[in-house]
Amino acid sequence: MFLAFALITLGAAFALFMQRNAVQAGLCMMLSFFGVAGLFLLLSNPVAAALQVIIYSGAITILVLFVVMLLQSHQEEPAARPGLVQKILSAVLVAVLALGAIKLVFSSSALANMPLEPPNKELMTLHKLGEQLFSEHIVALEAVGLLLLSAMVAAVILVKKEAQ
Amino acid sequence: MSIGELINGSLQAYIAVSFLLFVVGLSIVLMRRSLLVQFMGVELMLNATNLALLAFAKWRGGDVSGTVLYILIIAVAACEAAVGLALIIGLFRRLGSTDTDGADALRR
Repeated sequence: MFLAFALITLGAAFALFMQRNAVQAGLCMMLSFFGVAGLFLLLSNPVAAALQVIIYSGAITILVLFVVMLLQSHQEEPAARPGLVQKILSAVLVAVLALGAIKLVFSSSALANMPLEPPNKELMTLHKLGEQLFSEHIVALEAVGLLLLSAMVAAVILVKKEAQ
Repeated sequence: MSIGELINGSLQAYIAVSFLLFVVGLSIVLMRRSLLVQFMGVELMLNATNLALLAFAKWRGGDVSGTVLYILIIAVAACEAAVGLALIIGLFRRLGSTDTDGADALRR
């Protein structure tokens, strides 16, 4: 199961990278988010999986697709400048990062010393989460509420038409 | 690392998937030119960090704080999506396209 969800996630992410059409790229992103939600389920965290499906696969994908269709920019325009050096440099940087990260993960003794199975197989429940969220992290919750409000105001101001 | 571990998912495998997802997102941001696709790459990178966070929380004995942090990250990501898309629309109004090659005012 883990391998299947991991392959869905990474395959969809790679398809998003190769995709020329922005709408289809958005659908690939949605598939990738579903794969991550499946991985969250395997981590016995159904709360996070549900939130992932609702917010990422639902809300954020719809928002992005809405903007793609609003702006009618489905296809990537051909490059004005070739920019080949930049492209090669980016590819090399990304390849080095990927190889370095994988090597780091599999050579890390701290990670290897962790037990194979998680020590506790209990499911995450909304009850536990709510208790923690509204007792210990109440200040962070309020701060996030303020942040959402200011982001909403900022978005409205940014897209508002200039006064005549 | 055995095949069984890879199929059932050890902590190392989760972290490796998370790293690879992050790198794919980074390559999308670096190598694609459409702002909207780059934005999708940023969302992928955010998801990669969430995956690593929840995997570590799981191996710490099902730590609830990990999921609390995940919820806060989702809220910040929603703000980022709202403001980012507003900026893309604003740039589209100025330039008439969502191509990042056109947004070079700071270079001139």
